[in-house]
Parts: sequence; C-alpha cells; structure tokens
Amino acid sequence: MSAVPLPLDNTLEAPGTRAPLVLGTSDLASITEQVCEIAERPRPSREWLLAFGISASVTAVLFAMVGYLVWHGIGVWGVNQPVAWGFAIINFVFWVGIGHAGTLISAILFLFRQKWRTSINRFAEAMTIFAVICAGLFPAIHVGRPWFEYWLAPLPNQMQMWPNFRSPLLWDVFAVSTYFTVSLMFWYMGMVPDLATLRDRATSKIRQIAYGIASLGWRGSGRHWHRYERAYLLLAALATPLVLSVHSVVSFDFAVSQLPGWHATIFPPYFVAGAIFSGFAMVLTLLLPVRRIFKLESLITPRHLDNMAKIILATGSMVGYSYIIEFFVAWYSGNPYEGFTFLNRALGPYAWSYWIMFTCNAIIPQLLWFKRFRQSPWLLLVISIFVNIGMWFERFVIVVTSLSRDFLPSSWGYYMPTWVDALTFLGSFGLFFTLFLLFLRYLPIVAMAEVKSVIPAAGLELGPHHGHGQYWGEIPHQHDEQEGR
Amino acid sequence: MNARVRLAAGVTHSNAGGSRVGRRYWRSLEELADSPAFRTMVEQEFPGLAEELEAPATAATRRSFLKVMAASLALAGLTSCRWPKERIMPFAYRPEGYVPGVPQIFATALELGGAALGVLVKSVDGRPIKVEGNPLHPASLGAASPWAQAAVLELYDPERSTTLVRREGGQRRVPTWDDFVAFAAEQATALRQRGGRGFAVLAEATSSPTVAMLRHALLGMLPAARWVEYEPVSRDAERAGLAQVYGTSLRALLHLDQARVIVAMDSDVLYGHPEALRHAREWGAARRGDGGAMPRLYAAEALLSLTGSASDHRLALPAGRIGALLLQLAAEAARAGVLLPAGLGTVSPFTAGTPEADFAVRAAGDLAQVRERGLVVVGPGQPAEVHAVAAALNEALGSRGTTVTYTIAPDPERRPHLEAVAELSASLADGTTEALWILGGNPAWDAPAELEFAQRLAACPQTVHLSLYENETSRLCRWHLPRAHALESWGDARAWDGTLSVVQPLIEPLYGGRSPAEVLAALVGEPALSAYDLTRRTFASQWGGGEDAWRRALSDGIVANTAYATVTPRLLGDAAGEAGGRLAVRPASGRELILYPDAKVFDGRFANSGWLQELPDPITTLTWDNAATLAPEDAQELRVKHGEVVRITHGGRSVEAPACVVPGQARGVVGLALGYGREAGGSVAAGAGVDAYPVRTAATAYLASGVEVQRTGRRRLLATTQEHHVIDTLGMAERGRRVGSLIREASLNEFQRHPEFAKNATWSQARPLWQEIELKGEHQWAMAIDLSACIGCGACTIACQAENNIPVVGRKQVARGREMHWIRVDRYFAGDPSDPQVRFQPMPCQHCENAPCESVCPVAATVHSEEGLNQMVYNRCVGTRYCSNNCPYKVRRFNFFNNFTKVAATTRMAFNPEVTVRGRGVMEKCTFCIQRIEAGKTAAKNERRPLRDGEIVPACAQTCPTRAIVFGDLKDPSSEVSRLHRHPRSYGILEEIDTKPRTLYLAKLTNPHGAAGEGEASS
Amino acid sequence: MSDRTDAKGSLWGLLAEYETVPSVLDAATRVREAGYTHFDVHTPIPIHGLDEAMGIKVSRLPWLAFGGGAAGATAGLLLQWWTNAVDYPFIISAKPYFGLPAAIPVTFELTVLLAAIGAFAGMLVANGLPQFHHPLFRVERFRRASSDRFFISVEARDPKFDAASTRALLEASGGAPVVEVEG
Repeated sequence: MSAVPLPLDNTLEAPGTRAPLVLGTSDLASITEQVCEIAERPRPSREWLLAFGISASVTAVLFAMVGYLVWHGIGVWGVNQPVAWGFAIINFVFWVGIGHAGTLISAILFLFRQKWRTSINRFAEAMTIFAVICAGLFPAIHVGRPWFEYWLAPLPNQMQMWPNFRSPLLWDVFAVSTYFTVSLMFWYMGMVPDLATLRDRATSKIRQIAYGIASLGWRGSGRHWHRYERAYLLLAALATPLVLSVHSVVSFDFAVSQLPGWHATIFPPYFVAGAIFSGFAMVLTLLLPVRRIFKLESLITPRHLDNMAKIILATGSMVGYSYIIEFFVAWYSGNPYEGFTFLNRALGPYAWSYWIMFTCNAIIPQLLWFKRFRQSPWLLLVISIFVNIGMWFERFVIVVTSLSRDFLPSSWGYYMPTWVDALTFLGSFGLFFTLFLLFLRYLPIVAMAEVKSVIPAAGLELGPHHGHGQYWGEIPHQHDEQEGR
Repeated sequence: MNARVRLAAGVTHSNAGGSRVGRRYWRSLEELADSPAFRTMVEQEFPGLAEELEAPATAATRRSFLKVMAASLALAGLTSCRWPKERIMPFAYRPEGYVPGVPQIFATALELGGAALGVLVKSVDGRPIKVEGNPLHPASLGAASPWAQAAVLELYDPERSTTLVRREGGQRRVPTWDDFVAFAAEQATALRQRGGRGFAVLAEATSSPTVAMLRHALLGMLPAARWVEYEPVSRDAERAGLAQVYGTSLRALLHLDQARVIVAMDSDVLYGHPEALRHAREWGAARRGDGGAMPRLYAAEALLSLTGSASDHRLALPAGRIGALLLQLAAEAARAGVLLPAGLGTVSPFTAGTPEADFAVRAAGDLAQVRERGLVVVGPGQPAEVHAVAAALNEALGSRGTTVTYTIAPDPERRPHLEAVAELSASLADGTTEALWILGGNPAWDAPAELEFAQRLAACPQTVHLSLYENETSRLCRWHLPRAHALESWGDARAWDGTLSVVQPLIEPLYGGRSPAEVLAALVGEPALSAYDLTRRTFASQWGGGEDAWRRALSDGIVANTAYATVTPRLLGDAAGEAGGRLAVRPASGRELILYPDAKVFDGRFANSGWLQELPDPITTLTWDNAATLAPEDAQELRVKHGEVVRITHGGRSVEAPACVVPGQARGVVGLALGYGREAGGSVAAGAGVDAYPVRTAATAYLASGVEVQRTGRRRLLATTQEHHVIDTLGMAERGRRVGSLIREASLNEFQRHPEFAKNATWSQARPLWQEIELKGEHQWAMAIDLSACIGCGACTIACQAENNIPVVGRKQVARGREMHWIRVDRYFAGDPSDPQVRFQPMPCQHCENAPCESVCPVAATVHSEEGLNQMVYNRCVGTRYCSNNCPYKVRRFNFFNNFTKVAATTRMAFNPEVTVRGRGVMEKCTFCIQRIEAGKTAAKNERRPLRDGEIVPACAQTCPTRAIVFGDLKDPSSEVSRLHRHPRSYGILEEIDTKPRTLYLAKLTNPHGAAGEGEASS
Repeated sequence: MSDRTDAKGSLWGLLAEYETVPSVLDAATRVREAGYTHFDVHTPIPIHGLDEAMGIKVSRLPWLAFGGGAAGATAGLLLQWWTNAVDYPFIISAKPYFGLPAAIPVTFELTVLLAAIGAFAGMLVANGLPQFHHPLFRVERFRRASSDRFFISVEARDPKFDAASTRALLEASGGAPVVEVEG
C-alpha cells in the first residue's frame, strides 16, 4: 500500500485543534486494506515463520517441563520450607498483571472516551487473553496433586463437601476465570465486524467459511450496530471494575495472610497500579516491533506511544511511591516483624532482587518525563523491557523475601530455583508468543471499524451528538474540514 | 513355637535346623505350661505333628496342626508374655486376651556399650513397631534414647546380613548354621587339645550374665584362650581413675536429684552417659523451681554439649586444660574451707582474674556452701588422674553417698579396652593368636589406627565374626555369622546400676540370625541349646528364678533388687595427691582435636539408620554428616568458611572434613564426631560424613594435642535444619532481638520477685476481629512444654518419626530445606556471641485456636475439630502449600516427592498401622498423635469410665527424658496440662498475632551465681 | 447496474448503495419518512444519528445485563452461605461459618460474570445472530458493506414495498446502484 509520510509529530498539544489520531491519507478503504492485507498474505513472511518456529519449540519445552513436574512431583522445583511458593506463583502474578492492559485500554479508556485507544485496543486485548492463559497455567500446575484441582470448584462430589469460600485462593479462582471469560467476550465481540470484513474479502472457500462462522453472519445492520454499541458499552462498564477487582483479589492472596510483607492493606491499589504498569509496558514491548514490521505507523502513531508512555510514567510513579510507603508503614506500624521484613528486603540476602526491582520500576521509567524518551520507539522499547523485568522481580521480592524469613528465625530458609523452574518460566513466554503470532497471522490486529469511525474520512461530522453510545467523542468541525477534504 | 519357626523358615530362604527348632518348641511349652493334660496331648500329638511339619501342609494336616496351635495359644493367652503365635497363621480359635489389630506391649531390654536400657516394645499383629522406655527400669524411667527408639528401624533394615558367609581363598560361599555348628565342634576339639592356646575371643562390651557364664565355661574348657573386650567408646578412664584413689575398680552412680551444685568437667551427664536418661529425668524434675529451689550447674567443656547448654555457668576450655581447672577448683575449695587430702589444693594453674579462675572461685564457693549436696563429675574422655582428683574432691565434700555412690565395677579384672585390643593386635602380628572369634563390634574399622588391626585380622588364619551387618570387619573374616537382633532373640542384660532384664524376642529372626550366646554355646559344646534355653538356665542358676519369677521378669522387664550393691570404699592416703601431681605437670599444648561419639550414630554402629542420620545434631542441627567444628574466632584466624573442607593432621595421620562454625566452642579446639564415613556401612551410611578413626590412636582416643588444620579450598554443602545458608549479620541481629520473646526466661529469684514475668512480653496485644466460634467438644486437648526442663536431646523428634510414619528424605532434600519432622527442636544462641547461651525450644504444631493455616485452604483440607485439634485431612489436600506459608510457626511439612517409593518391604513392617502413610503432594503436620487420643477415648468408653488425666500421651511426651512435654484435656481443670496452662510461667509464642496456640510454653528458669545472691546456691 | 440478479426465486427486496455517511443518513431519513418499516441500513462503522434517522427505539439490553447481575449476586451469596454455613459447615480459624466480608469477592465476580454474559448473549439474541445465511450475502457488491460502502435495504415484505416506487425512492435518495435481491 501507499508509503506513509513519517515521522510526523502528532503529539503536540495545540489548543483548539484536536490532533489527528490517524496519519497519512487514510480513508475507509485504505484502512481496510492496510489491516486486512496482514491477515490475507497468501504465505507468512520468513520472519513470522522463524518467530513462530522458535516460540512453538519453546512452548514444547513448557509442556515437557509440565510433564516432568507432574510425573515427579513439586520437588523438582526449588520450593521448600519455608518458601513454599516460588516461581509458579511469581509467574502467575506476573502474567495476570500483564493481562490487565488490554481490558483496561478497551474498557476504561473507552469510558473516558480516549479515542486514541482504537488503534491499539484489539492488540492489547489479544495480549490480555494470552497473558491470562499463561497466568492460569501456573496455579494449575503448582499444586501438589493437580489431578484433584476440580475440588476447588463448588461441585457436588463424592466427599459431599464444598470448597472453603473463606480462602483467598478460591476468590482467585473466581476472579481470574471471570476476568478471562469477560475479556474473551469483550475481545471477540469487538472483533465481529472486522471478522465480517475479512469474510467479505475472503478469496478462498476455507477462509470464507472460517471467517463466516467467526463473524456470526454480521452484516453491519444499523439495528445491529445499535444493540452492539449498547452491549459494548455495558461490557466496558462491567469490565472496568472487573479489571480493578482482579488484581485486588490476586493481592488478597497475600494481603489476607498474616505473613510480614504480605499482610498489608495497601496491596490492592498497589497491585492494580503495578498491573497496569506492567501491562502497558508489555503492550509497548509487543507493539513497537509489530508496528514497525507491519508498517502500521500511520495507525499506531507517535501520539499513541506518547500516551502510553505517559500512563507508564504515571503508574510507575505510583508503584515507586508504594515501595517507599511500604517502608514507612512498616516502620510506623511499630510491628517489629514488618519492620525487619522490609529491612531484610533492602539489605538481606535477597537485596539484589529488591534493587533490581526498584531500579527497573521506580527509577528507569522516570526517564519518560523527557519527551525524547517518549518519542523514540527504541528508547521506549528498552524502557518497557526494563519495566517487564522489574515487575517480575517485584513479585519475586514479595513472594520470596517475605517467606524466606518470617516469624521464627529457626525456620528461616533460602530459596533457589531449579532448572525446571527456569525452563517452565521461559516456556510460558513460548506459549504467549505462539498464541500472539497466530493472532497476528489470522486475525484483524487493529480494530478497523473503530479506527475508521475516528478518521475524518468517515465524514461523521453530521448528526447531533449524543452522550452515551457515542463513544468516540466529538471531532471539532473546522479541524475535520481541513483534514476531510 | 516351632510352628512359627517352620513356617517362618518356609517364607525365609534358610531352612536351617527345622528339627532342632521342633524340639525347642516342646521344651519351651513344657516350661510355659505345666498342665499335664496339655503335656499328654502334646506327647501324642508330637510325632504326628513333627511329620506334618516336614510334610507340605495339606488341608487335613493343617487342621490338626491348628488344633495344637490353638491349644498352645489358649495357654499363651493367659500369660502376659510373648507367646501368641498369631503372626504366622490364622487362628482356628482366637486366644483369650488377644485381639487382632490391638497393639500388644512387651518388655525387653536393649544394650549399648555394656549397659542395658529397659524398653517396652509395641507390637501389632506380631510386628514390633515402636520402642518406648520402660517406666520400671532404673535407667529408663519411661524414656528412651534416640538409639533405642531407632532399634525398630535397625531390626527391619533390609541391608542386615541375611546369610552366613564363608571366605576361603578369595571364594565366598554361603554355608548353613549346621555347617557352622559342625565347624565349631571340630574347632572345639582341636582347641581342647592345645588348651586353647592361640585362641582368642574379641567381644563387644556386654553385661549379659549368660554370656558371662558361657565365657567362664569357655575359659574353663580352654584355659589358655584369651577373652578380649573392646569398645571404641569406653569409660575406662573413669574406672582407672577411681581405682587410683580407691584401689579397686569402681563404677560411679550419680544422683542429680540430690545435688544442689553440680560441676561438670568436660562431662555430658545429660546425654553422653549410660544413665543419661535417669540423669535427665532427675535434672528436669529439679529445675522447675517449684519448691523455690533448683540445682545450679557449672560446666567447663571444650565442645558445646547438652549439659553445657543446660548449665547456668559455662566455661569454654580446651579439654587438655580441664585437669588444670580441676586443680584450681580444688585449690579454691580448700581456700573455701573444704578439707582436701594431702597434696591437693596446693596449685592454682590459672592466675586470678582470668575467666577460669573466676569460674573456679564461684564453683568452689558454691560447692563449699552445699558440701555433700555438691557434685563434681568428669567426662569419660578425661585422663584417669582427672577422675581421681574429682573423686577425691567429692570425697572431701562428703558427696559420696548423697550425690554419688559407688558399686564394684562388673568384671573388675578386665583389661582396659584400648590396652586389651592393642595386646590382641600384637598377638595377631606375632602369630600367638591364630584363631579369633569376634562377637559383635567392628574392630577392623574402629580399632585404634596405629594397631593396623584390619591388616592383622586379614592375616589371621581363622577368624569368625558375628555381626548384624556384613561390615568392614566381616569382610576380612573367614566366617561371617548373621547376628540376631536384640528384638529377635532371647538374652539377658544388666543396667548400669546392675538391674537385670530379660531380653525377649518380639519376632522370629528375620534373617535366621543367632545371638552371641548361641554362638558361644556352639563352641563350648552345647549347640543344641537355644538362646532361650541358655537365658532360662542362667536365670534359674543365678537368680534361682522359677516360673513365676521368670514370668514377672518378662512382664516387668526387670528383676527387682538385682542392682549391684553400693560399696563404701576408702580413699587411699595420698593417691589423690599423686594423681594431682601428675596432672599439674601436664603442659598446655597446641591446637586440640577432640574425637567424640556422635549424638546420633554413636561410634558408627547406627550409621545405617535413616532416622538417626536425619535427626539434627542438637547443637549444629547438622544431618547426614559430621564436621570439623570450630570456634568462630578460630575459623576467622584460619580464614576457614562454614562448609569449607579442612585437612586435620596429627602425627602423620590426617583426615579431611568440612568445617562447621559453632559459637561457644573453646578456642583452639577442633571437634570431630566418630561414626561417619563408613565404607561397608550400608547404603544409608554411604556418603554420610568422614571417617575419623584413621586419626584416632590409642593415645588420642579422645584428645589429640598439637594438630595441624589446613584449608583445602574445597567445599561441602552441609545439610543443616537451621540456617540452611550462612546467615548474614542483619539476620543474626534480628534473631538475637527475637529470641527474648520466643524463649522467655528469668533467673530463679527474678521469677520469685516477678512470677508473671513471662506474660505480655510482646510488642502488642491482639484483639479478635470477629465473634469467635467456641468449641463444644467434650475434651479440649492442649500441650504444655516446660523450657526449664527441656535439654534439647531430640528424643521427641525420633519418637514422633517412629509413631507417625514420618519419611526420611535424605541429605539433598534436607539441604534444600525439606526435612519432614513434625516436632523439631529449635536451637538458639543467646547473649554474648563469644560466650553464648544455648536455648532449646521443641516446636510441634501449636494447634492454634485461630489457626491461620485453616482459613487459607481453598479445599478445607485443614479444619478445626470440636476438641480443639487442628486437623490435616490428607486425602482432601490438593497441595497448594498456602497453609504452610500462612503458618507463623512453619511446622507444616509438604511431601515434595513420594517419600515411600524407595522404602524396602521389610522396612515397611515398621510402619504404624494406625497412621496414614502420606503420598506425594499433600501437606502433613503434628496431629497431637490423634490415633492415641482416639484409642484412649475408645478404651475409656468401652470401660464406661471418664478419661483419666495422663492416660493419653503423645509419642513426644511419652519419650521425653525430662518430662518437659505434657499433654492433656483443658476441660478438666485438675489435669496437669490445665495446671501448667494456668502456671505463671506459661506463655504462647507469637500470641500477639492472635493465633491462640493450644501449646503453651513454660518460661525457662536459670539459677546463675550472684543472681541468686552471692554464694548461697539454689535459693 | 450490471448487478441485476437474474430472476430466480422470489424478490427479497432492494439494496441501494451509498458513498458517504451523510448521503446514507439522509436516505435513511427519507425511507423512514416514506413510512417504510422493514428496511435497514448497512454500514462498515456505527454511525451517529442513524438511530434517529431510522427511528430505532432505545434497546432494553441494559435490563438484561442488570438481570444477569442480580442473578449472579444472589447466586453468589446463596452458594457461599448454603455450602459453608448450612450444607457442610466446618470450623475454620474460629471464623463465622458465613461472613459477609469474606463472601464479597466471589459475589462480586459472579455478578459481573452473569451481567456480562447477559449483555453479550442478549445482544446476539436480539440481533438474531448468529445467522450464517442472509439474502444480502448473495449480492457481490454488498461485500463492501463491511469495508467502505453504505447500503440501505428495503424488504419486499414491507407493506409499502413496491418494486418500482421503492427503487425510485432509493435512487432519488442518491442510492446507486439499486439492485434487486433474491430471497
């Protein structure tokens, strides 16, 4: 398709004029073209094949490790007494955290009428789904007898007893599964019109049937659109508290216990901020290469990057603040066990992990105050990767340092992961990227219908504006005039 | 009995001497049941029966056979003894008083180093599964040492030798017992001709009167034969020392309950002593400060021992200086007005103001105060002179008769072990001994290094070795004979104080082994006599015991009034002075190496026991290893890190061992435990620790002075159950801060001034956030652990392991922090690091009323019972391990692997059928021995009576030598546990987080000098 | 205009194509004002003002979602109360068998879950989706309805439908081409 004149700075905040969200000469057809051709290439590019080959084989490693684990027992991991939770739970929280950006972008930014979200939400939602899949894997395999996991569900069973609803782990089961279901619905629903587009452009019978089924026979009916928007709005409204609740509930696993370093009331907000933080970082980490490879610079513009960078900066600062306030609370509570736990984090045997966390999460993102760092995709990529590392270590610090030294010094211990731990963690990335590459290959990676409706060419300047349902906010007329012609 | 044996023979491969056993069966029954009716029936039945037994069991023969069995069993049922034959075949009629599945208790005795410990063995359907102390036995008083308790595991050890072995010209044949009996007979005749010249028996120490009788028979038959007794770890020095001052070989009996001031000189009276269990009981009883008084203990020692840990004043002093300190003590005592024999109390090796001098001043002052209530006791490692002076000091204090009494040492003419084995080795070298029979022991491995006993043994033309295992010695002997385990064979043994016990088997020999008595009998020409016959004969001839006495002996486990008579020896005029003189000239010497018997595997004989290998060393918490213990200062000076392998050299002999830094150890001392590094110790012992015997000569059996210690740079990961990693200063400081609130303590008179000192010693008070459910059970179980009594011996850990089928996970897993013990003994160092105090705290599940573990379990696998137990439901557990994370006491244990797949079938016989064997992936923890609780409740219900307090005793409390652990019902206000929970000293640890533990601790009381007012002790 | 499908089967209706949003909005208004009821607009993007233009009444979907949510909340609370406090109570850390604070997370999640399902499923049902066959799919040009073109379809079953006059109306409103769609 036509080369896009870039870079073009659309990040300036000129009062009065609304910055364009899509650059270059985009009209409805060109957007369709631009997005669909990615999914319509007759054969995948060599890069895709290479990437897919790698991630698929790493996934194979994951399944090998899971098999090995189930065969031999949890002992093949590094967990011990007192550190009975190790990589598995760390990875779980890590992935769940990442799984927050998608729905957040879709739902919350949607309610806030941040129309710039349209270019990235599909992408972010996909990431959410895959991250939650990876997350769900870990609690599933980390228990001693996975074959009895169904006992966590309130099913009538031969023991005639029920799960213990007072346990945060059970809350977790409900929270994560609900989150996954709702996110999936949200994602899929948003994708239906675009799937219809693919269906209508399909050349081969298989594609036609596949996309035909997937798009449920969508035909862009005005009446359908009406209810569709309603439903979408409702889902957004429901997903928003859900996003906030999920990581809060995850944080309950820790906050509700009595363990120094876990037993903290600031966990829910702190975890949610961290989740958004890591989620956006991961979106950037994925988006930047994809944007470059598939030449989506005109849809995913510097402004998008700029906004995401700002969110990362904001949430990163919240996280940094939490780190500091934790120390204050530990000291101010007068609880000697809390006090020691935090000293021990910063100065104890695991100090290295604490300072990796602190540097990556609280210090490095501060660079985003400078516009240059928000502008350069490369610097953004580096920073976002640091944030990912930092957020993994945050969970490591929370889980391991607290457990390794709790109340009785006699039972203090030290946790060392084994090669199985490491490969399983690596493998989860394999699974994540495999799913992601499939998404890139076969699904509309940008929400066409939504993007189209925010470009001037859509010519939506007519008609009175209505509050609800009108989710893309208004576009100042004079501005659209210039752009439109 | 032959019925059992025949069938046992049927199952086990060896079918040795069926007919012989046949005869034995009837003999024993005659003695058992003198009913003529039965005899006649037997008489007529016998021939047929014998045939039937040889014949393959057809239905018909089986039926008639069962008739006889039933008859005999009916009789057996009447006795309180061990005759029921249920373990071999189903009953035609159930004998009275026997209910299948209901455990039976039999009294017997286990011997270690020539001193018997009376035990009660629980047997379920013919399988002995648990060893517990015999309350009637003077050395046990109901407690059992870890060694005794591990006997069950040893019994079922699949690696015990299962066959006789004959080695000739590099060939290894497997003969039968009959072959051996024949061989013995021809030996006997050959030897008789030359009067036994060139023949020697090397026996491990035994107190068995039967063995003694056979020995006399043997020496009578072969006057020129030599009988040698050897124990690598012996108390000969004490014996020699007493001989020096009293002129005769004596054995000392200590009475800590009489003592108000005890000065332990390099002596671990509370653990490393044949009567340690009794000492511990007396100590534990005296130290609770109830009567407002308690004994004060001074300890001077090189290595940190349990006695030193329990002491009120401890002086870390190289073992070589103990003698000097004793002289100083004598001098101070003299100054304090104690009248000493001539030549004593004249020299003061230490200049005033040094810690040694101060220690001596205080100790002597207190001794002088309490006079005959004082006691000076010296460890077995110290030279005879030190014992001599100590004895003189006790004599001068007037303690003899109160805190210490003497009996004539058994076998007074016996040569000291080390000399005896040296002479034997020499005679092997010069060929004067050409036939050597070794009864038990492992001299090829543990004889003094310079004797090169192994080579000489290998060179000896005719050697016979009777042993439980085919060990280092067996491999060098022409004949190896499998020994019957103490739980498999008849025998007799005497306690340290002489009390006689009959050893009765709990089960037929699993591997067809025989006892030393039987082997000797074969030699002296009584091969037909079984161990039972021999024992019975001894019993009859020496104690004139008829049937009733015999039965009483069997059911009680002791024969009353058989203790050695107390003697009142007279001090030889100046012997003590001379001994003191010899001490005074002993110079202080360079770095010391102390070779001590290990707290777990002793001299190495228990090395193949997984329970003992995995039992943490009380001081270092080290498992599966021995290590070169070093004082922190020495480690710094030598630039040696914890776990770094060092080479210890003395007189050209050297051993390499990983270093282990132990605060409180004397500077300039390296400690290394014996008993590890076995070559032929079995698969469990393999790879555990290093062998210290190569540096152990007769002269340095305990102490080698002037050793070299070099670094090797290599490291070995030491599997400790505390400080799994080297602990940093931050953690160290915090631990120091916390100990005070975890283990609360006060001196005796602080306690008298503030009885409630242990209460509210936490940083905050917890308030419940909700309306708590109150428990409606008819009992409310609880535990109380008195830290004043606990000496940290770890007997509870083993008892729990045996009772609850707790798996052994092995070195690697322990190093990872995955040990499974349900009750651990936490060890803390408190106070000044250079002179630390050691504190112990047994830590079982606290059974919190607000158990944090319960609320976090998603599947309700751990819930609370109405009787206040925190219950773990194994088959409901999915293994999230969340409960463990949320347990503030970290007493929960997770099965990271299936820990029982590798357990041999024989070893599985040791399992307690009352307790689930846990599979992989489930959590487990202390249950307060719920199986015992339920058994007790059932018994009470059947007898339509309320439960009695103390009727239900968990394994840990049952075996605790100091009775520190008490279990009972809080609903009963008069119960002991209720009383202790109300006790001013009681407190719950971490009560500030509102867990409401059902296990309360009683704060520790100490009785340091000065704190109790200058001079006056124990007030 | 080459798109006239040959006369097989009955006539389903007419389909008019438009270039821009304004034109289709204008056309929709006209068709509605002409009194048609069985007509529809097909657009690649949701368009504002279209509801008014077509005279679509506000959907009652929110009530469905609310119903789902209410059901979820009740189910959640009842489930936890009945299982833990009635059917199989066990003592956990001396805590009440049923405590509202502990019950909130699960209740909340179930509320959201069922509400979301209500909204999503409700939307599909109300829209008669999935519907894999529809006469319009026969029209080749209609494929652009999901990309860059706007359509108005008037169904033959509409009482006011008349092949000629309706076509005239559509063409007059700027629909080009206007094609007949076979049923």
